[in-house]
Amino acid sequence: AGQGASVAFGGLRADTGLPVEVTADQLTVDQNDGTAVFSGNVLVGQGEMRLSAAEVVVEYGGEDQSRIERLHATGGVTLVSGAEAAEAEEAVYTIDSGEVVMTGNVLLVQGANTLSGQKLIVDLSTGTGRMEGRVKTVLQPSGGN
Amino acid sequence: MADDRDITIHSRVVFWLKIILPLFALAILSTLFLLSRRIDTDAALPYARVDVEALARDPRLTAPEYLAVTEDGAAVSFTARTARTGQGDNDEARAEDLVAVYETPGGLRIDIRAREGEIDRPAGRMRLSGDVEIVTSTGYRMLTAGLDSALDRTNLRSDGEVQAEAPYGQITAGQMEIRHEDVEKPGYLLDFKTDVKLIYEPQK
Repeated sequence: AGQGASVAFGGLRADTGLPVEVTADQLTVDQNDGTAVFSGNVLVGQGEMRLSAAEVVVEYGGEDQSRIERLHATGGVTLVSGAEAAEAEEAVYTIDSGEVVMTGNVLLVQGANTLSGQKLIVDLSTGTGRMEGRVKTVLQPSGGN
Repeated sequence: MADDRDITIHSRVVFWLKIILPLFALAILSTLFLLSRRIDTDAALPYARVDVEALARDPRLTAPEYLAVTEDGAAVSFTARTARTGQGDNDEARAEDLVAVYETPGGLRIDIRAREGEIDRPAGRMRLSGDVEIVTSTGYRMLTAGLDSALDRTNLRSDGEVQAEAPYGQITAGQMEIRHEDVEKPGYLLDFKTDVKLIYEPQK
């Protein structure tokens, strides 16, 4: 899968035990199969992690829909936590494991350095991540934190 | 022959009994009514303490039932504790302690409870108010101050804030609507609009 670069994210971290708060302009729930879709300025927050997207589809864990397994965010996604931010076209956030997989023109900004690629896998609980697919790095020589 | 003395004793005893027993009976009878409990005649008939004029002034129905089938095939039933038919032109029937049930062909059931309801037949809509509670068979329980629902099709709109308990968490929104969608995917949709907020507690 192209060369990968494992990257340390000091900032992209969140306590996966905290409650997840999702705000949006609209939430539509289909009453025969229960699929729930947030649309319009959707913002998913947990601790100081923020994930914003145009649309987020809820994927349930159990049969009784009492647990949310994953949130599929689409339409341009931005993941922000502390000083670090990552942008991509889509993202899938698995709540229990705290793993965010961002795909499609991923751009990661760490302070002055930027890193781009096709796929970024972030583990929010440990704050580590891995960028894959035509990874390009731009290091600002003058900056540096 | 029996001894004469026995017969005379017997007849004397019978003679005196014939006098004493009736007197005794007379005494019992006469005191019976003397000692009996006074029956309070006017309390015997408990009158209902209801203002008869008020009852007469506005004709009302008790425990009315309203049944209908909507365009999308849902059976709608309303029952209320009391209902008053509309006076004058606006023809708005008013009901108290209203319970409404929508049962859709797809199996979705919506139970609604409200303190007051106004049924506006010409407009084919009903306005519910007073701690309106909406419970869907899909596990959503919503509380709102008012609800505007159609009589001819399954379309319920909350007027104002709604607090909802979903199977997976708490949702608050500026407005809630349940509607029937028959274009792409026929079915019933529950929409939360304006400032929707979900709080989900991940089970650890």
